[in-house]
Amino acid sequence: MKGLFKSKPRTPVDIVRQTRDLLIFADQGPDPRESKREEKMAELSRNIRELKSILYGNSESEPVAEACAQLTQEFFRENTLRLLIICLPKLNLETRKDATQVVANLQRQQVHSRLIASDYLEANTDLMDILILGYENTDMALHYGAMLRECIRHQTVARYVLESQHMRKFFDYIQLPNFDIAADAAATFKELLTRHKATVAEFLSKNYDWFFAEYNSKLLESTNYITRRQAVKLLGDILLDRSNSAVMTRYVSSRDNLRILMNLLRESSKSIQIEAFHVFKLFAANQNKPPDIVSILVANRSKLLRLFADFKTDKEDEQFEADKAQVVREIAALEPKDSA
Amino acid sequence: MAPDQEEDPKPQFPLDSHSYRILDEIGAGVSATVYKAECVPMNSTLVAIKAIDLDRLRPDFDSVRRETKTMSLLSHPNVLRALCSFTVDRRLWVVTPFMSAGSLQSIMSAAFPDGLPEQCIAVVLKETLNALAYLHKQGHLHRDIKAGNILVDSNGSVKLADFGVSASIYDSSSVGASSWSVSSPRLMFTDMAGTPYWMAPEVIHSHTGYSFKADIWSFGITALELAHGRPPLSHLPPSKSLLMKITKRFRFSDYEKSKKPKKKFSKSFKDMVGLCLDQDPSKRPTAEKLLKHSFFKNTRGSEFLMRNLLQGLPSVEDRYKASKIANKNIVGDDDEDDHGEPTKTRRISGWNFNEDGFELDPVFPHDPKLSDSVGAKRVCFGGETIIPNLQLNKKSGSIESSEEAGHGRDATVAPVTEKMESGETDVSGELNPAVKEAGKEQCGNRKEFPVVATAMVKEAGQVEGGSDRNSREDPAIPGPAVVDGGETVAGQGRVGGPVAVAGGNITYPEGFLRGLVGLRNSLYEQEDNVSNLIAMFGGGLSREAQLRKELEEQRINNLRLEMELEVYRLLLSPSSGR
Repeated sequence: MKGLFKSKPRTPVDIVRQTRDLLIFADQGPDPRESKREEKMAELSRNIRELKSILYGNSESEPVAEACAQLTQEFFRENTLRLLIICLPKLNLETRKDATQVVANLQRQQVHSRLIASDYLEANTDLMDILILGYENTDMALHYGAMLRECIRHQTVARYVLESQHMRKFFDYIQLPNFDIAADAAATFKELLTRHKATVAEFLSKNYDWFFAEYNSKLLESTNYITRRQAVKLLGDILLDRSNSAVMTRYVSSRDNLRILMNLLRESSKSIQIEAFHVFKLFAANQNKPPDIVSILVANRSKLLRLFADFKTDKEDEQFEADKAQVVREIAALEPKDSA
Repeated sequence: MAPDQEEDPKPQFPLDSHSYRILDEIGAGVSATVYKAECVPMNSTLVAIKAIDLDRLRPDFDSVRRETKTMSLLSHPNVLRALCSFTVDRRLWVVTPFMSAGSLQSIMSAAFPDGLPEQCIAVVLKETLNALAYLHKQGHLHRDIKAGNILVDSNGSVKLADFGVSASIYDSSSVGASSWSVSSPRLMFTDMAGTPYWMAPEVIHSHTGYSFKADIWSFGITALELAHGRPPLSHLPPSKSLLMKITKRFRFSDYEKSKKPKKKFSKSFKDMVGLCLDQDPSKRPTAEKLLKHSFFKNTRGSEFLMRNLLQGLPSVEDRYKASKIANKNIVGDDDEDDHGEPTKTRRISGWNFNEDGFELDPVFPHDPKLSDSVGAKRVCFGGETIIPNLQLNKKSGSIESSEEAGHGRDATVAPVTEKMESGETDVSGELNPAVKEAGKEQCGNRKEFPVVATAMVKEAGQVEGGSDRNSREDPAIPGPAVVDGGETVAGQGRVGGPVAVAGGNITYPEGFLRGLVGLRNSLYEQEDNVSNLIAMFGGGLSREAQLRKELEEQRINNLRLEMELEVYRLLLSPSSGR
């Protein structure tokens, strides 16, 4: 068998086809003839490694665009990606890593200047469900997570995930005890909420209520240091993004949000304090502060001013100092508006 | 494929701190502490716990995420894997098997200060090379190969550890070329990572990037480290080794001083190391190929290490305590070697690996003796880039007082000064010492071409804008960015000879002057960079990534300006010949 293939070099299309056949075999459950199965699985591993080397090149050669295009086209012509994702748990560790890298690369391959991976995934969004649920499986989480992050580079795929029920699960995934997995989920979460600006802005506007309720209670008020730290940083990134200005205006008008941020300002962690400041300053700088925001700021004026008096970043940071000065000015100048 | 893989199912270690009992501290770094501990529910299995202070890291935690991910997805008998990792308040605990004999660096400093016996080295290197071959096959660069990251267990097994700066060529986020297209297929890195003494020349200042072969260089340096007890140049503090080793005449004082009869090493060992230390990365062998080298034939096994390396060795925790005490006594003698030979700095264009002496020797330009010597491998640093001794001079005044070097230069330089003053430039005197290099030895050498005295140059756009900024500063002295075979003068207010044109009286193209201003400005930039860099070695990993990026930018700009200067040099050289 092997000799036959060697005599005639296989084309990328051949390799994809053979990989697909072997995946179908692998998918069919354990074969009674154990030895035969082992052989086929080894062959599958070799094929996947070969696909990787066509896509990435190797120490001897650069990837060839034409070969990559053929491979990509054949790969998405049929359901190879689905088979590969489903069979991934059956592959050994090294092959899983190779497969992950193949899938990652395929997302960027253009055929006739089209990202055909995007088209395929748009028609097969249920694959995202498998990848996301991978976070619940310790053995698969890092592989599926890496694939997922590559897939959501496509705007349509990111939109599907954002609007799916899975979005709520991320609030738990990023607090999983296993650091590798939690950190991977956090990276995906951040990607989802920052990459495709317009899509994110639309998602946040439509889902404002539940999203920020969860964000505040589960993340910003988490007992877990790393969760709070990442969440407050990401919140700053989201609110300071121009495309999210409507969301920002809404966020900084809520006294509950202000209370949470003020608590974060009081954290003993310097890093959290600094990140919290970058969100807090939006409350202070808001030129249309609702009366209840004003009254909270006025009530805490002296405490806040004292806090900012010796509030410094480790490294000199002009922008930070300028922001701080402005916040101090704003707070110092506040007059209680209400009591009318 | 099978023999080099460890396919045992990973037992799930508990993910809460209460399941572990900390026994002793066995190591500490800037933002992490390493403990010996036992995992109570797992039959009190001994483990090592690296506790990383997360508050000191950037909030995306990308670096630790990659490190723990790498460590949990790698599976090879010679690679230290993470058993699990979880956060404990502000710290991240990375739990790994406990390697009871500790690192080779620690073993050497406790029991083999002058290096290991060759047969032990062979075992260690072979095991390390197995790990490296596996990593490279996986697309990973370790980027920090050194004895301190090679661990030994009580049974003599050897594992490569510390994936803190490792990177994968398949991971778009670590390559930096995360563009959506399938471009940048070369699988190259450009960010600077690793520990200075072990860094390959192309990592320090390549314009084209580096890849797996950088690990091979570090592997070669590690071989020398194991043979001599410390890496070449280790008598210099790391910042200097990184930035200044190229300008300094240095000797292997450490290696030379040891009065003991020179150790004999086999021909095949020397040959193997020589292959790794080829300046041209493409000529260095791959890890896979290196494993077939004759040096690794008939290598003994782990039992040999157990008998010859580990016998009578104090425990890791005791060694750590001892080293902590010892370190207290030697704090602050960093700069000592600078006073030794103050003025004899020479330009070195690269390194020769001296196979007979089994050392790295500096190569001086136009030194017929060395460059003609056969058998030595010529190691040239690509851009002929000289990194000035900025930090040094800033800190301790002009250590390398160049008064004597300045003799006879003033006359030549004076006319230049006038020209420059009437031009658009000015420079404060303090910077001048920074640019000195190109030692006395070369003073008389008229054939010397001018040498660009800066390594990191700001880009052209900034060059012009920058002259405004600097006009605020102390006017008067021209910017000494380009130095000839002679020397710039150190003292305050002295003139830095900008160009090597003997006889002076040359009309400088305007663009050239602008180039000088740019270079001068770049020195300011660079000064900041260097002090940042040093701060970074001293403490604070958090800005590391940002600094790396800046350095990289500087390197690219340097190349651009170097090329420009090359043109001017060509323009000027006929007149200087006269």
